[in-house]
Amino acid sequence: MRQLIFALTAGVLLATTPSAIAQTVGFADAIKILAASCGKDIESHCKSATLANNEIMQCLEKNQAKVSQKCNADRVTVVALIQERLAAQAAAPKICERDAAQYCKGVKPGAGHILRCLLKAQPSVSQKCNTAIDLAGYR
Amino acid sequence: MTRILLAAVSAALLAVSASGATAQTKLSRNEIINSLQGAQQEVELSADELQKAALENIEKYPGANAPQSLPLADKLASLRQFNVEITFDFDSARIKPESYETVGLIADALHTPYLQGQTFFIVGHTDAKGAREYNLELSLKRAIAVREALVTTFRVPGDTLFAVGLGEEQLRDPSDPDAAVNRRVQLINLGYR
Repeated sequence: MRQLIFALTAGVLLATTPSAIAQTVGFADAIKILAASCGKDIESHCKSATLANNEIMQCLEKNQAKVSQKCNADRVTVVALIQERLAAQAAAPKICERDAAQYCKGVKPGAGHILRCLLKAQPSVSQKCNTAIDLAGYR
Repeated sequence: MTRILLAAVSAALLAVSASGATAQTKLSRNEIINSLQGAQQEVELSADELQKAALENIEKYPGANAPQSLPLADKLASLRQFNVEITFDFDSARIKPESYETVGLIADALHTPYLQGQTFFIVGHTDAKGAREYNLELSLKRAIAVREALVTTFRVPGDTLFAVGLGEEQLRDPSDPDAAVNRRVQLINLGYR
């Protein structure tokens, strides 16, 4: 119980001091920047490109002389944001390896079972692992 | 502009929004997770089987509109699912920028441990305007486009996602076949592999 209260307090502190750690944003928040900054350019210069297979990004890059400055800048940001979130997701299981061995013994690997166990075990799990889970957008 | 209208939600959430104030609430990642998680068991139904059933419905019961829903409708209705609105170009499978965020939200939800390791159908639906075969084809192309965006742009594991197009064979509101509520993309959880 004491641990739980500590975790809750820590959560509140983290929430009020967001600049303390590096953060990542979700895919929706990243891609909506692209829609906002490049939506018009996409509709005028990329009518045959789709959201899949990097087509939109390639089209915007090819047309960078024609698209707005804001779009050119934000396009690069969006790619970086998506990459950061993906990297955080790839890193989380490794960072949490020791916690998984300690708190999720006997949980079968794969299919997100261990991550779900670590989410439930949040009050006991190390700060390092909890932060990795936060950065992955798994909470 | 043709729209695939994904109104909202499970019956429970519909009941809530029917009371008014929440009807316009912005779609959230957790709303998608809550509606999709909790699959009871693995479902023995392949995307091919479902696609074939829709085609057979047209061949067996031809006409402007489907006289009855798919034989698999009851089975599908019992599964964890969520409806979303995704906007496409007219007569095309190209997702409009205004719907990028919605596709991103689906990706955010599918990446979480709550939904990892489970298999999903991405089902495209149209309203009843136009020929049934054409609608079936268009809705399949749109479902494939959503799947491709999720798999390539947002790296959702491709072996967990299967695209199906049901055209106008499974209307959400059969009493109003041309209504916007029928145009939607439906996510259905088929459980753990």
